[in-house]
Amino acid sequence: MSKQRLNIIKIITMILIVASLIISGKAFLAHRNYKEAVVAGPSVTEVKTLGDYFAPLKGSVADCNIYILDSGKPGGTIFLIGGSHPEEPATNLTAEIFAENAVLKQGKLIIAIRANRSASTVTRPGDAYPQFYNIKTDWGTKKFRMGDRWSNPLDSWPDPEVYVHYPSKQMLAYMDIRNINRTWPGKKDGSITEQICYGFMNVIKEENVDLFIDLHEAELEYPVISTIVAHESGQNIAAMASMMLTDMEFAEPIGIEFSPKSLHGLSHREIGDHSDAVSLLFETPEPFLDRVRGVTDERLLLEGKDPFVMRAGKFGLLYESIDEDGWPIDVRVGRHCSTTLMVSQIWNQTNPGKGVIIENIPKYADVIDNGVGHYFKNPDEAVAEKVFYE
Amino acid sequence: MFLHAGIILIIIAVTFAIGTYFKLNTELAMLLAAIAAAIYHTGGIPVRHLVEGSFTYYDVSLIFITATLFINLVKESGGIVFMVRKIIIRFHKHRFLTLLFLTFILMIPGALTGAGAATVLTVGTLVGTVLVYMGISKTKTAAIIFLCASMSAAAPPINLWAMMAAAGANMPYVGFMQPLFVLTITGSLFTMFFLGAKGENPDLDKILKELPEPPAEMNWIRVGTPFLVLILLIVAGRLFPFTMPILGLPFIFIISAITMYIMSPKKLNILDIAGRTIRSLIPLVGIMIVVGILIQVMALSGARGLISLAVVTLPIGFLFATLFLILPVSEGLLQYAVAPLLGVPLIFLFNMQGFNAIIILSAMAVMWPIGDILPPTAVVGRATVIELNYKGRYYRDFLKTCLVPMAFILGLCTIFLIFSNQLSFLVGG
Repeated sequence: MSKQRLNIIKIITMILIVASLIISGKAFLAHRNYKEAVVAGPSVTEVKTLGDYFAPLKGSVADCNIYILDSGKPGGTIFLIGGSHPEEPATNLTAEIFAENAVLKQGKLIIAIRANRSASTVTRPGDAYPQFYNIKTDWGTKKFRMGDRWSNPLDSWPDPEVYVHYPSKQMLAYMDIRNINRTWPGKKDGSITEQICYGFMNVIKEENVDLFIDLHEAELEYPVISTIVAHESGQNIAAMASMMLTDMEFAEPIGIEFSPKSLHGLSHREIGDHSDAVSLLFETPEPFLDRVRGVTDERLLLEGKDPFVMRAGKFGLLYESIDEDGWPIDVRVGRHCSTTLMVSQIWNQTNPGKGVIIENIPKYADVIDNGVGHYFKNPDEAVAEKVFYE
Repeated sequence: MFLHAGIILIIIAVTFAIGTYFKLNTELAMLLAAIAAAIYHTGGIPVRHLVEGSFTYYDVSLIFITATLFINLVKESGGIVFMVRKIIIRFHKHRFLTLLFLTFILMIPGALTGAGAATVLTVGTLVGTVLVYMGISKTKTAAIIFLCASMSAAAPPINLWAMMAAAGANMPYVGFMQPLFVLTITGSLFTMFFLGAKGENPDLDKILKELPEPPAEMNWIRVGTPFLVLILLIVAGRLFPFTMPILGLPFIFIISAITMYIMSPKKLNILDIAGRTIRSLIPLVGIMIVVGILIQVMALSGARGLISLAVVTLPIGFLFATLFLILPVSEGLLQYAVAPLLGVPLIFLFNMQGFNAIIILSAMAVMWPIGDILPPTAVVGRATVIELNYKGRYYRDFLKTCLVPMAFILGLCTIFLIFSNQLSFLVGG
């Protein structure tokens, strides 16, 4: 090939690469900076941020909103977090339903919708996630950021050769130093994800949280699915909730698992060990996360229907059943809503004087009947003081 | 969806074949295949997906580049030739010990960089020269260099196949050091002694005359300090995790490279060496970037799911009986792309069936680089014959000579696959 021809090819290649970087760079930037409007519900008395509990995070990408719903009547405090893993949309959608709708009759409810904001600003290379997903509401379509399991490398890089968990010294996967559910109870001067957990531990301690709930979703190939994972201090509540929900509300059962004592960094283990709060973690099935999934798109994310995952189920390779109806987002959010309500109800029964009475939250059947979007408020119609951005 | 994903796979295979037919290199043919599949699936060019996919193995590529720069600085400073000469001078009367130490020399570059080509390019010629003077035929010498280079690529701490497959399976790359060490050391020592045990004791003067001279000021402290810094920085991260700042492997290799630069007895043109390093790595880094793009497009279009489904529904017995063939052949075809494509669903399947995933992946990650002698890519095999200026026939002589050690290594790995649970005590490091 002549030198001139080679130079032409090099120039064309360079132009194509620069054009690709500009186009994709704009898409990445739009995703990172996209703000989700949240209309604070009737019981929201204050909206703080994580930085109010741990100053170094103030104004940083990790500085998520902390919604405080105070009934004004003495009782207990429940802390509900969604978006620990922003690739699990049922978690932040559920938390947002609580923030926009819950009416507190007793006690206090604290909510973080986007617990790991950094992880919600990136999608996973190699997995072809959509950057956004859209939920139909009564007033239009509401757009949400899709995210990853791990904090954005732009905010936490490089990873160590091996991640050594603080304070247990247990060795974990290097990338899990960016996984909020491996960095509890956090470290004051640690990585940004460790600092996020440290900030949340401050929330738990300063607000005297009695019951902590961490919402998650899981692939059907993963054994910890459709379950409540409980620290030993919350096993009775979890067992009772599992029985009641399976018997009275859910089409598919929800189980209970005990938090392994030897596995560190997880919220259900460390919060129970390092604070007075009872710690629970809920899991719903999300076929979108399965490795054997087919086309990766918003439809699979929200409808949860996939013939490849179904075929894997026929070979006995899954830990949860799946049929043509799949696991739609309404079912997954409905399960999280009902599980949270049931757990709070049992908490109230077993902890007199520390009750947290939550009303105006849809149950499983309601969410399936009306759809998730039915419960989101129109920010354009709300007073500006009530609108907050995630 | 089965039909759609099937068509995507056909488009990828056909485009790749056409690209190869028209003499495009593997990475460009693979890129074209990915773009063709993306256009069919989306009806346009999903630029964001292509760019995002290209970053899938960004960290691995950085490790690869910085580690190779480090090894190249060791070579350019005269450190490698110094070590080889010292081994020959000290042990030339003891054939066993000479072969033993030469095996370890062959293992270092690949173990640190994860690339067999790095071994061939940095120490292959030097060690090859010594082996020929020890009475080993040129064909056997070439076979030893190739197979030890393959084993060095699979050796810990950096095994790119295991790292890429583990990353795809959300599995920590932790605990692989010991099983990889056992497999690769056994494989390389068997190769060296099976092919090189017989021969005359080398004529010291002849060998030393043939080998290049290191700078007079080179000594063990100068060549050893950068390696010591490397090891200390890695170990310090584990011993003092809460006080030691997170450096990351790329920066650790850079610090070690700077140490080598400072300790080198002769002035090194670091920009020139870095430039040559990058140029030599373009094909390998290129393929990692393109593999990321291909994987992203396959995930987007469902093709990855179809392959995963096909793999996980195979009977385990069939896999035990065929993986020793499938893995090297697929490596010859697709190079590192096989790790996320086949490795991830295989890990999933074996894990679901109750096998030890770390032992399983370690065994597979040692089988893959054996395929680097096979067409159409044959990257390390070709590098070996070019670098050693080997004039024999590639298949009938070179490949044939490799067959017995290859069978031994693949057999050993198959045993690890079958008895992964019984061998789980090896997991660690």
